[in-house]
Amino acid sequence: MSIGILGYGVYIPRYRINRAEYIKAWGQFAAAGIEEKAVPGFDEDSVTMAVEASLNALNHAKVDSKKLNAIYFASTSSPYCEKLVSSTIAMALGAPPRVSVADYTSSTMAATSALLLSLDFVASGRGHFALVVASDCPYADPSEFLEHPLGAGAAAFVVGEGTPIATIEASECTAIEALGERFRKDGEKIIETLGIPPYTQAVIVNTVTSSVKALLDKTGRKPSDFNFVVLPQFDGGLPSGIARKIGFEETQFVPSMIVSQVGDAGAASPLIGLAKVLDEAKPGHKVLVASYGAGAGSDAVSVSINEEIMKRKGTVPSVKDYLAKKKYIDYIYYLKIKKMI
Amino acid sequence: MQKVAIIGVGQTRFGDIIDKKAEELFAEAFLEAVNDVDKGIDISEIQEVYIGNSGVGGGQLGNFSSLMTDYIGLTGVSALRIENACASSGFAMRTAVLAVSSGVCDVALAGGEEKMSDTPRKRVRYWLGISGDMQWERLSGMTFAGVYALMAMRHMHEYGTKREHLAMVSVKNHKNGAYNPKAHLQRETTLERALASPMVAYPLTLFDCCPISDGASAVIVCKAELAKKYTDTPVYVAGHGASTDRLSVFQREDITSINSSVIAAKQAYKMASVKPEDIDVAEVHDCFTIAEIIAYEDLGFCPKGKGGKLLEEGQAEIGGKIPVNPSGGLKSKGHPIGATGTGQIYEIVNQLRGSVEKKSRQVSGAEIGLTHNTGGSGGTTAVHILKR
Amino acid sequence: MAHVSIPSYWKTLPQRYCLIGMQCKNCGTINFPAREICISCKQKSEFEPTKLSGRGKIYSYTVIAAGSAPPEFSEQEKLAGSFPVAIVELEEGVRTVAQITDYEPEDLKIGAEVEAVFRRIYEEDKVIRYGLKFRPVKERKSPL
Repeated sequence: MSIGILGYGVYIPRYRINRAEYIKAWGQFAAAGIEEKAVPGFDEDSVTMAVEASLNALNHAKVDSKKLNAIYFASTSSPYCEKLVSSTIAMALGAPPRVSVADYTSSTMAATSALLLSLDFVASGRGHFALVVASDCPYADPSEFLEHPLGAGAAAFVVGEGTPIATIEASECTAIEALGERFRKDGEKIIETLGIPPYTQAVIVNTVTSSVKALLDKTGRKPSDFNFVVLPQFDGGLPSGIARKIGFEETQFVPSMIVSQVGDAGAASPLIGLAKVLDEAKPGHKVLVASYGAGAGSDAVSVSINEEIMKRKGTVPSVKDYLAKKKYIDYIYYLKIKKMI
Repeated sequence: MQKVAIIGVGQTRFGDIIDKKAEELFAEAFLEAVNDVDKGIDISEIQEVYIGNSGVGGGQLGNFSSLMTDYIGLTGVSALRIENACASSGFAMRTAVLAVSSGVCDVALAGGEEKMSDTPRKRVRYWLGISGDMQWERLSGMTFAGVYALMAMRHMHEYGTKREHLAMVSVKNHKNGAYNPKAHLQRETTLERALASPMVAYPLTLFDCCPISDGASAVIVCKAELAKKYTDTPVYVAGHGASTDRLSVFQREDITSINSSVIAAKQAYKMASVKPEDIDVAEVHDCFTIAEIIAYEDLGFCPKGKGGKLLEEGQAEIGGKIPVNPSGGLKSKGHPIGATGTGQIYEIVNQLRGSVEKKSRQVSGAEIGLTHNTGGSGGTTAVHILKR
Repeated sequence: MAHVSIPSYWKTLPQRYCLIGMQCKNCGTINFPAREICISCKQKSEFEPTKLSGRGKIYSYTVIAAGSAPPEFSEQEKLAGSFPVAIVELEEGVRTVAQITDYEPEDLKIGAEVEAVFRRIYEEDKVIRYGLKFRPVKERKSPL
């Protein structure tokens, strides 16, 4: 019996808006490396997406929801600033009342934080099974470039005791104070930035590099020891900027990229990226996941893939399956269902 | 048990009657019913009052009967507001009949009233929904028309009924209503026009739905043995029946039939000792065109699933085997919710007496008539069989 | 304004969120929604909660035209126009009523296979009411 990732699942909403629609509307699409992005339907939000991803994860892990001891929700776009939506998710999944719940919000690093905390939860003996679900649909003013890359999606991981499909070997975290990059003030619906790209880029790259280098030191590994690396994907250009600084190759980070088809899925991006890698990974592979949350922080997690993963392939819809299920909408409909008009 | 006779009926026109308040409308219908008693009646002889009203728009929801009796000069008399959605006054009629036939009173007043035109259109929609299942059907986004649309889709699926059949009901009822000076919509229409009208809840279009209307109706009943004291042309209540069905349509076994109609009709036929083929004229509850087709089958005018065929053969026209809705039905005559039930009685009484104003919609030689009044999507139904 | 109160919505969350049917211990009929008096044997019975699979077929449907929805759905109507509502007959033989979502017009057919999905139903007084809708099943994905 060991502790690790027992299963995972994702959900990507079916609507897509593409580059051409933005160009028609604004004359440009300020979203490097993004071809199209996912849009939640009028009856969807971060909670509904979380439920479907979680159901997939529970099915993949073959863990009955009644066995869950913890449910942790991670998002920067919970429909409530104050109200436990992890309780909503718990009920929708049929989990028992005796569960530890928490909503991890305020940061796109929330999902990796929650994942690490859930492993601590199990390792400390507080419970046997925990569900971490990251689900996000970040929102900004449509007239700002900041809005262009924003997409939507969810990924859930079941963590606990059993025969894990993947094990977390080690992690390192960094927290530094940074001001005015991406933020959403209390009472505001939109995210904003003070719009200083070189500064923002530097903060992200330095913070992530700090965590990753610390992890490489701790584990005595080189960048090339990892088969895959999942890097922050706020747009299609960022991963290569970070990779260059640390010494990762394109072949390592490209398989985890979802941003070109989903857009920036906020807190969910690192875990959707990890899910995409796990869909293809083989036993013995090593994956490094690095997240970033503005303001600022970064988690770096080293994941090792086990034999058990082969038994679960294809048992629930994969990232590719959800990427393939799509319906294009035009910009006006986009504005309507995002309640921007 | 006493036999019951109808000695006077009255009805306002149905439509947008902006300049009359609820109590004024009811008074108009009441006074017409009183004047209709050809040998005269002193209103102080009325001992029980039952008025149907579903409360659209709010208004006087509490103690409605007290307001109405006051306005018509009957303060002091026992009175009751009856609410069974669109079957409110059908059940008011039933209650008046039961009161008289139980022997507890000699003369009773039944009637109904509804004001719908003075509520903003956006809010009237909401009031139309209160008689459906709130918890599940309404919270799934279902409208009143939507519930009947579900029945229509299933009827079309199981029996091959077509949208054209639905439109035929509309055409027939508009044709009749064009000759009814009290009807809300007095305009004939065509099949093409009906089929091309805007969709409300697929497959039901605007022309498949009855209008929202203001109006009132009143019926005075008494012990049969006293009838001739009041009139030389009494009409007798030969039979009656009433029933309920599950409120939620999705919980019913078969949604191509309204079980409360079937049971109520059976009770009435049995009591009156008549069969469906003995009925000479009927006023049925066509809140939506599909409801009329289903009513033909529920009331036994044709076998199950053959409602469309009855229409195709013209048998429901005036002059056909079983003229249905010579008044124009709810579709053309209008549907002031609380007033419809006793409005149907008003029409059948006139048909049986031969006193319909426009002769073109008089069913000649009618001796036995039937009224069928259903609440909401069939949660309640009251049926009356009247004889000359 | 008549509406479904929070407490009554809350009482029915096991049905609205996760399709819990209540099986009558007396006659075995699954009551959905829950009742105190069994819908079938009409006894005040004891009930065993049983989770329904969420898979079913369209028994009947309609499309509510834009402009005529109940007030709870006027916002939805403004955003997304007309919408289908269906009676769904679930695998277990129980029927329920719900909106169809994520569909194409050709998916709306009596007999079409659908599956339950957790969605926003409406919002009232700033409180979001979630529940289940049904989505057409296009391909048979592996048994879940």
